[in-house]
Amino acid sequence: MPDVIIQNLPYLLRGLWTTIDLSLWTILGGTILGLVVGTIRFVRIPVLGTLCMLFIEFIRGTPLLVVLLITYFALPALLGYHTTAYKAALVGFVLFIGAYLAEDFRSGLRSVRPSLIQAGLATGLNRWQVLRFIVVPQAIRSVTPAVFNQYVRLVKFTSVASIIGVTELTGAGLLVNARQFHPVTILATIAVTYFVLCYALSLIGRALYARFAVKT
Amino acid sequence: MLTNYRFDWGPIWAARDLIASGLMMTIAVSLVALAISIVIGLIVGGGAASGSRPARVLAGLFVETMRNIPLLIHMYVWYMALAFLRLPAFTCAVLGLSLYSGAYVAEVVRTGIGAVRRDQFQAALATGLTRFQAMRLVVYPQALRMIAPSLASLFSQLIKDSSLASVIAVSELTYQAGAIDGQTFRTFEVYITISLLYLVLVTVASQLVMLLPGARSEASSARFVDA
Repeated sequence: MPDVIIQNLPYLLRGLWTTIDLSLWTILGGTILGLVVGTIRFVRIPVLGTLCMLFIEFIRGTPLLVVLLITYFALPALLGYHTTAYKAALVGFVLFIGAYLAEDFRSGLRSVRPSLIQAGLATGLNRWQVLRFIVVPQAIRSVTPAVFNQYVRLVKFTSVASIIGVTELTGAGLLVNARQFHPVTILATIAVTYFVLCYALSLIGRALYARFAVKT
Repeated sequence: MLTNYRFDWGPIWAARDLIASGLMMTIAVSLVALAISIVIGLIVGGGAASGSRPARVLAGLFVETMRNIPLLIHMYVWYMALAFLRLPAFTCAVLGLSLYSGAYVAEVVRTGIGAVRRDQFQAALATGLTRFQAMRLVVYPQALRMIAPSLASLFSQLIKDSSLASVIAVSELTYQAGAIDGQTFRTFEVYITISLLYLVLVTVASQLVMLLPGARSEASSARFVDA
């Protein structure tokens, strides 16, 4: 490995850990948010459903960077609270990826054949049981590829947090570069690291899908 | 909760020229990157769907490499790592954005071509069309019909992704918003304004894709069946 990487390895590894940490918390939070919002959209709860739709449309029409600028600068200014770059990034990521996941989950729920739902209701299950035992298990399987695509997107998007000052992998790399100026080596190292992270994640997604896919 | 903040949209209106020039720059970056990424997508996606094994492997390598590296890193590579090329920031942003989005367009094109049944192509050849004519007149129109919705969402993605060009000092919408925020401290107003502008831009762009000839053919074939 080149000297500049070896010298700064602990620092860069801490950056990598922040990237992984941000990604994992966002995957957790975003998946929960996506499931809740997607389900609300699917079962068409009157006012709540419209609010969820507005939320999804707003987020999906806005660049991630602008979402982060809003959670870091605009919302604290509006509501008068203090936040850190890390917290603002986490909130921004969860809102952002949650909106996309909600749409994926909703289309997964809609992919379940209506006749199965009717059959479930006919056997005497109530609506909640039908959702829990018939719709969700099939929907989760059919949305796995789309959801893992979003997770991979998310890992790449964590690099944007460096712009609001989170020293994750990109931020750490840029700081090392600012001190020692080896842009080619440093950017290549970062690029390879992201590649490994994202590719591993998409392989996991493919393996899960192959293992649990609905056989038709 | 909304106690102390006094809304003041005056400074935003006063800075409308800056916002308009940022909007034009965003549109310019997106359009150029869009054109290049379609060319990349057609070539690489055509290669990935072709019968030649080396072409498939090369296309797969290109797509996986480009897609698994964050766009921000793409931009920094052109701007900082390849600084000896002395490319202007605009060019760096366009190159980064086109290579990154081009990989996604390639994947969409590949699935589109793959979704057209193989016997269609063979039937076209059997009627005496050349391979090129068969692709152009039979396969691509059907593929375009199927991939139009995915293309629409890719292009709106591209427009939003162009906001990252602000970090390498391309004076597009997000960059101008930062500048206006720095001068006026109307933080909330300025960022809400530009996110609404992005929303409009993205909506218009995805509607335009659906206006492509043949993109909405489900509707037209439905009419055909009705008649």
